Amino acid sequence: MTDTHKTIVVTGVGVVSPYGIGLDCLQAGMLSGKCCLERTKDDVYPGFDGTTAQIRDFEPLARSSTSQHSRTDQLAVTAAQDAIVNSGCNSSVFRESGIVMASTLGGLTEIDTGIAKDPAAWYRRSGGLSRAASYPFAHVADSVGDHFGIQGPRCAVSVACSSGAMAIALAANMLLEGAAPMFLAGGSDPLCAFTLSGFNSLQALDPNPCSPFDQNRKGLNLGEGSAVLVLETLAGAIARNAKILAVLRGWAMTNDAFHSTAPHKEGSGLADCIRLSMEMARVSVDDIGYVNAHGTGTPLNDSAEANAYETAFRGRSRPIPVSSTKSYLGHCLGAAGAIEAAITIMAVRSGALLPTLRLTNPVDSPGVDWLRGGVKRQPLPLAMSASSGFGGSNTVLIFGSGAS
Amino acid sequence: MSANLPPVSITGIGSVSPYGPVEGLIQQTPIEPTTITAWTTAHERRAFLVPPFRPATVVPGLKTRRLDRLSAWALVASSLALKDAGIDLNLVDRSRVAVVFATAFGCVELTEAFYLSAAANGWNGTDPITFPETLASAPASHVSMFHGLRGPNITVSNKYFGGESAMLQAACLLRQGQADLAIVLAGDALSRSLYSWYEEAGLLSPACFSSQPRSEAGGFIPAEGMAAVVLEPPARINPRPNAHSYGRIRTGRWVAGGQSAEIIRKMLGASIPNLTICSGNGTPCAVSPTATLAREIVGDKLPIIPPHVFAQGLAGSGAIFHLMMALASHRVSGPALFLGTARNNGFAALLLDLP
Repeated sequence: MTDTHKTIVVTGVGVVSPYGIGLDCLQAGMLSGKCCLERTKDDVYPGFDGTTAQIRDFEPLARSSTSQHSRTDQLAVTAAQDAIVNSGCNSSVFRESGIVMASTLGGLTEIDTGIAKDPAAWYRRSGGLSRAASYPFAHVADSVGDHFGIQGPRCAVSVACSSGAMAIALAANMLLEGAAPMFLAGGSDPLCAFTLSGFNSLQALDPNPCSPFDQNRKGLNLGEGSAVLVLETLAGAIARNAKILAVLRGWAMTNDAFHSTAPHKEGSGLADCIRLSMEMARVSVDDIGYVNAHGTGTPLNDSAEANAYETAFRGRSRPIPVSSTKSYLGHCLGAAGAIEAAITIMAVRSGALLPTLRLTNPVDSPGVDWLRGGVKRQPLPLAMSASSGFGGSNTVLIFGSGAS
Repeated sequence: MSANLPPVSITGIGSVSPYGPVEGLIQQTPIEPTTITAWTTAHERRAFLVPPFRPATVVPGLKTRRLDRLSAWALVASSLALKDAGIDLNLVDRSRVAVVFATAFGCVELTEAFYLSAAANGWNGTDPITFPETLASAPASHVSMFHGLRGPNITVSNKYFGGESAMLQAACLLRQGQADLAIVLAGDALSRSLYSWYEEAGLLSPACFSSQPRSEAGGFIPAEGMAAVVLEPPARINPRPNAHSYGRIRTGRWVAGGQSAEIIRKMLGASIPNLTICSGNGTPCAVSPTATLAREIVGDKLPIIPPHVFAQGLAGSGAIFHLMMALASHRVSGPALFLGTARNNGFAALLLDLP
């Protein structure tokens, strides 16, 4: 018997990605096999020559309402707008809602090296104070809240590359405690010289389009985007006759407690996270039909992640289907977990399992069915989205097609 | 949060602040801002600064040479809070221990350092060691690594109520069975660019420019520090011989707007607070919108502790300092309201039971 007050459902999904605005746009692009990764030279910063996935022709919101909004804020507000439209509601319905928005960058897009050399002069420069106001990552949640006049609890999350997924998990927790009737939860991060330079300095970037889970993988590509989910209890959704897109059946958060940048090589933290999420969802290893992997394409991440799947799905009757959709649109950092949650919901609703692009020689993992080649179609009652990040942070979300 | 949720106990406190590293409550003594020497200023500039100390003298074996000050403080504060709680982590399932960290600006000193490396060497010549440590979540990650804590590790921020929201998020993890024990941290470090921002924006108190200001009105005194509390369900502390409770979190709310007094009265229900503790992050020293709201809710007859001038200097992350300093100065039992507000930008309110 489903406890409708303890069941969390998704009633809206909004996405801004290199494919454009909207889940339909993302779905059409990905199902067609289109890859958004492209050569970038001197674009994000002079001297950078590599591969990224950029959102082209993004029209910022009207200036009057966004005078202190960074590109991170802009993407977040646009994704939230799309989620609200997708939910079929007027934004006034969200007045008492909560907001949990993730970002690793906040307003770093608005800052440049001048601030470190002579901060006072930088602030005095035209718009310096206004630009700095968007710097704290809390500003992303405030931007969404202020834009739509939302008055519920606001929280920003920053836990490296699992931020977006964790925002969804924390919103679900707060829904269970009755902190607000609905939540807008997701993540946003743009391309930025700061992060591109940082990953470049770590030699973590593949100069060409990345090949997650391939034995010859060479690193990741950065992308940009935002995704926002509308979350509420099943009871609330039924009460307002809302369209239910998916059920958030389980979620979990763990930490590797191992290293600042490297995952535990056995993937033990992620494996624990998968196990805990399945316990919450009360499902077995055989019930999960697909995993949207973190799959960055870096040598360390992908081998640790493969080990995690071997451990977590041990005893399964057939290999677990896994793919990395970062091979289509790059690694969107704080937005990645939210965008991949949207893609996982898309998979549950359509039964279309996307392959990893450019995967020719998969890492040796007998317990994993590395999806490659064409789109696989099958009924998909339950699917999982896995996210990990620097500092050992892991978050796993399980989405189902309907309340059990 | 809904009423009738199981309470969560505050069993340990630790901090690093202008008072230095402290286990347990900070016994209040008058404190003055000190002169900034970490960077060159044209004239005297003052703030509430953490005095330099060697972390290994406080936490034996602690190595912080490669860490920024914020991460080092997080390790020290969390260690002191665990010690104060009488918790031996060797007897605890560390996969069930959560870390929740609130910060307004994260590792801003290293972010500045990364920008400086970009300015000096170009974006293609930045420092790979510094980059991952610029993440806002780095201090919380170091706490998990140092103590071997494998439960949820969360870094949150809220412009006004970061500390309060971290406490409520941690309580939520415990009540939902996602952790057995939580370390909540809140804090920020003061950097040159941050101080300069406050100054250029005209937010500073006259006390930042002179040791004998004519008035503190019209601004605040920037501060730095890190506070930590240990939260656990009451049932966990009973078997521990040296355990104690500073109070229990019964319920809490935080919102970004609406009728604050009305919502808080509804949250309090039949509980009449014997004490109201005000927080006020980044608000001017001489003005306390929180105290005004508190009077509106509880009246003039019950004690209201105004925000502490030092903790006001921590933008969004001073809440735990406000709480621990109030608990040190006022020994009151029964219901207590822990309240922060930001005028039209909502409030955070926790209903506590003090022993």
